[in-house]
Amino acid sequence: MSVLLEAHGLSRSFGGLMAVNAVSFAVEEGEVFGLIGPNGAGKTTLFNLMTGLTPVSGGSFCFRGMPLTGLPPHRIAGLGIGRTFQNIRLFRGLSALENVKISRHSRTVTGLLGGIFGSKRSRQEEKGVEEKAWEILRLVGLADRGMELAANFSYGEQRRLEIARALALDPAVLLLDEPAAGMNAAEKHNLTAFIREVRELYKLTVVLIEHHVPLVMGLCDRIAVLNFGELIAVGSPEEVQKNPAVIEAYLGAE
Amino acid sequence: MEDFLQNYGFLLVTLVQQSLLAMSMYFPLTAGQLSLASPGFYSLGGYIAAVMATADYFAPWRDALGWMMFPLEWLIAALASALLALLVGIPALRLRGIYLALATIAFVEILRVLCLNLEITGGAIGIFGVPQLFESRWGYIWTFGPLLVITLIFSSRLERSRVGRAFKAIREDELAAGAMGVNPTYYKVLAFVIGAVLAGIVGSMSAPFLNTWNARQGTFDASISYLAYVLIGGGRSLWGPMLGAVLLASLPELLRPLKDARLIINGVVLVIASIYLPQGIVGALRRLKLVTLDRFAVLWGGQ
Repeated sequence: MSVLLEAHGLSRSFGGLMAVNAVSFAVEEGEVFGLIGPNGAGKTTLFNLMTGLTPVSGGSFCFRGMPLTGLPPHRIAGLGIGRTFQNIRLFRGLSALENVKISRHSRTVTGLLGGIFGSKRSRQEEKGVEEKAWEILRLVGLADRGMELAANFSYGEQRRLEIARALALDPAVLLLDEPAAGMNAAEKHNLTAFIREVRELYKLTVVLIEHHVPLVMGLCDRIAVLNFGELIAVGSPEEVQKNPAVIEAYLGAE
Repeated sequence: MEDFLQNYGFLLVTLVQQSLLAMSMYFPLTAGQLSLASPGFYSLGGYIAAVMATADYFAPWRDALGWMMFPLEWLIAALASALLALLVGIPALRLRGIYLALATIAFVEILRVLCLNLEITGGAIGIFGVPQLFESRWGYIWTFGPLLVITLIFSSRLERSRVGRAFKAIREDELAAGAMGVNPTYYKVLAFVIGAVLAGIVGSMSAPFLNTWNARQGTFDASISYLAYVLIGGGRSLWGPMLGAVLLASLPELLRPLKDARLIINGVVLVIASIYLPQGIVGALRRLKLVTLDRFAVLWGGQ
């Protein structure tokens, strides 16, 4: 296995607050990498640094050895890093199908005039986009509701639609920000199986932020623990569970 | 029919012209950008046409080209508008919402004051005696009419294309659009340029239609009128701006018997519509249709 993602002293400060403080880690190709930590530990900020939504204050972040720091979000997405959002950010006024189609943007090239005049190439491309979008909707089990507005979907379905939208990027890496938040027990159980299935099917590397401990422990190959912006432990689920620093961060010192 | 066109030809052509200007506001809105810059580009297009049609410098061009001079004016107006839109749009579109609206108002005002003071634009008097393309005012339906048809086809095809989807994604959530591979800056500027080019061409067709051109063609008042067309008609559908333009631009004519009181009624209609029709008339119609469809579905399913 080779290293796919690598963070080197990644930092971000907001005013005097170090939201992410010199965090270094490496994610290997094909693994499910968990990111846990108490509220406000900097997990989502770390995702935002990795996807270019928040500029870094220091350090670097590489994908397949190529530095991504300083690239705009759409370039990073185009390189194959797809993500979901903790506070769901679907295109609410558009149909589920359109939500997924939009992510094909960086895999297609039709320009303004090609689209207006309907050149042969643009029509073929559009057909491909349509097929791919339906294929992904079928995979996440939302194909029968493809024409409905995203805003009308239930919470759990919106989370699945966000994953579908990220998958349409043909990503090599999927960053999932609390995919199980707000789901009931049965939905959480299904989600574990679903993430495994998707990873197999698309040969994905998955990085996930999650609070639900059984899900993280059952799904992740390795886990990194953040506390107050600092990385306090990395290792297998068993190692992390026994780590005294992690126990202290979660339960407090005796 | 002759009498009718004699009396109402000017109004009908004006309605088509105003519809086109409403469409020019609609394009940036499809990408979520509230720009009020259209009157600026409209004014620019008109000046280009007026200067090319009257200045001595262009006399040999006019002699050589004949009526072909008019399409050339449209083309130059389109190119100049696109260029100016790029120059203005790239810095201005870093602003969001009401701040972008304010910046575009400032742009319109700067251009207006500039035109008031330049020699080439005829200063405060403007440019008179712009040569006519047609004998009657009604004839201009043959320039504005096809342009409106082309614009509507363009718009409906755009909506279903890759670029149109990118616009919609930015309108819905710019940050998420970026994270899904869409370059927000590029498509915001593109939407702005499309609107500007349309307004510029309409301006260049309007100079001969109105026979004269001056700095009052591109004012803040006009920005607000065009915005009202889009808001009343509905900014989420390509039919909305046209419907709003036809209704609002004909309202003063329909209420003419009321004399000065018509302006009050005009204002009341605007206020009521913005309170009760937040999605515009087209939005309200759609909702109505949805409601009835739901009822039918219930009857059909026997629930």
